[in-house]
Amino acid sequence: MEELKSKLKAQIIEALNLQDTKPEDIDDNAPLFGEGLGLDSIDSLELMVLLERQYHIKVEDPREGRKILQSVQSMADFIQSKQPA
Amino acid sequence: MAAISPQTTFQGDIFSAPLVHTDKNLLACVEPDYKPFIPANSLRRMTRVLKIGLTTALQCINGSGVETIGPIVTGTGKGSLQDTEKFIREIEQYKETALNPTPFIQSTYNSVNGLIALQVKGTAYNNTFVHRGFSFENALLDSMMLLAEGAPNTLTGAFEEITAEHFYIKSRIGFWKDAPTDNRALYETLTPGSIAGEGATFFLLTGTPAPNSKAALTGFKMLYKPAEAKLAAALAEMAAGADLVLTGRNGDSRYEHYYQQLDTLLPGIPQLPFKHLCGEHDTAGAFGMWLGAQILHAQQVPAQWFPMLKDIPATAGKILLYNHFYGEQHAIMVLERV
Repeated sequence: MEELKSKLKAQIIEALNLQDTKPEDIDDNAPLFGEGLGLDSIDSLELMVLLERQYHIKVEDPREGRKILQSVQSMADFIQSKQPA
Repeated sequence: MAAISPQTTFQGDIFSAPLVHTDKNLLACVEPDYKPFIPANSLRRMTRVLKIGLTTALQCINGSGVETIGPIVTGTGKGSLQDTEKFIREIEQYKETALNPTPFIQSTYNSVNGLIALQVKGTAYNNTFVHRGFSFENALLDSMMLLAEGAPNTLTGAFEEITAEHFYIKSRIGFWKDAPTDNRALYETLTPGSIAGEGATFFLLTGTPAPNSKAALTGFKMLYKPAEAKLAAALAEMAAGADLVLTGRNGDSRYEHYYQQLDTLLPGIPQLPFKHLCGEHDTAGAFGMWLGAQILHAQQVPAQWFPMLKDIPATAGKILLYNHFYGEQHAIMVLERV
């Protein structure tokens, strides 16, 4: 799980071009939107694309997306839940 | 007015800025620090042409002394090529699935205008013209009509970028010279093709002279693929009283004959070419207009930018600007001191 979260942080930084942010600056449980990283609605679409490209997971329901994209922890939990056992 | 170009035109004194030169056949912009102009959270998403376009527009507004911006009217031949190329590459790479929205949104031609309007909270008329070598000129014509209809001012500009991929595509259809050519020597050897360029130029236009006005545009004509006699007549008519000619000469042997008409029509009037400064691109005419206005306002020619000329005029009161884009779109402007 720790490895997945660390990888995910690096992928988020690259996908969203967060130039002055390092993976260690992102708290696992900090909100990605509003406070925390201060991402916006376009970023949420970019993160959906990230999940699809990097983890082959398509989020069909936008309401589900809100919960998944709350934090790095919630994204990692979701990815892990979709991995084959 | 403001310009980001391959020369040091954005900040500092252009009359002492050295000529930027290269023999790569591609003149890329001297980019400023964007952070004082664009919030970091927006900046991270923008590609180069969006940054140069928005920053130039904001600098133009800052220097104009105008508080409320009216219509925003721009021209671009290609818009954001970097975003377009990224979006198309990803369509292929990801088999038309999982496509990022950002490059698609920003690849649309009106992106720069949208960003300007968002930043200055402008809700007036907003339009971008995309007509190859007439893109800026149509934006200018539209602005003149808006001013004639009573608009208090218009923010009028042009923006263009060159990418490695687009440079290669255009090289296949003979746009650029085959041999590496230093821009300082662009006019020395006439061969097919020119050198590529890019840039963003913005003007705050008003219908009547304002305290901060730099120059007046008193004549303007567009001619599409004109017969030589028609072009000669238009140039002769508009040249009356001009004491300096700015030309879009670009070292391309295939279209030089159009510019050579000026030599016979206007003997004795000094000519300054400007394509060695900005390179050839769809909206290079905007750079020519910016340079003309700078000369008229400062009553000085940036002589260090013209090492290829022996006699450089000290100043000018009325400038004829003639530019064409690969022999198709011809634009003639008259600029005067205010």
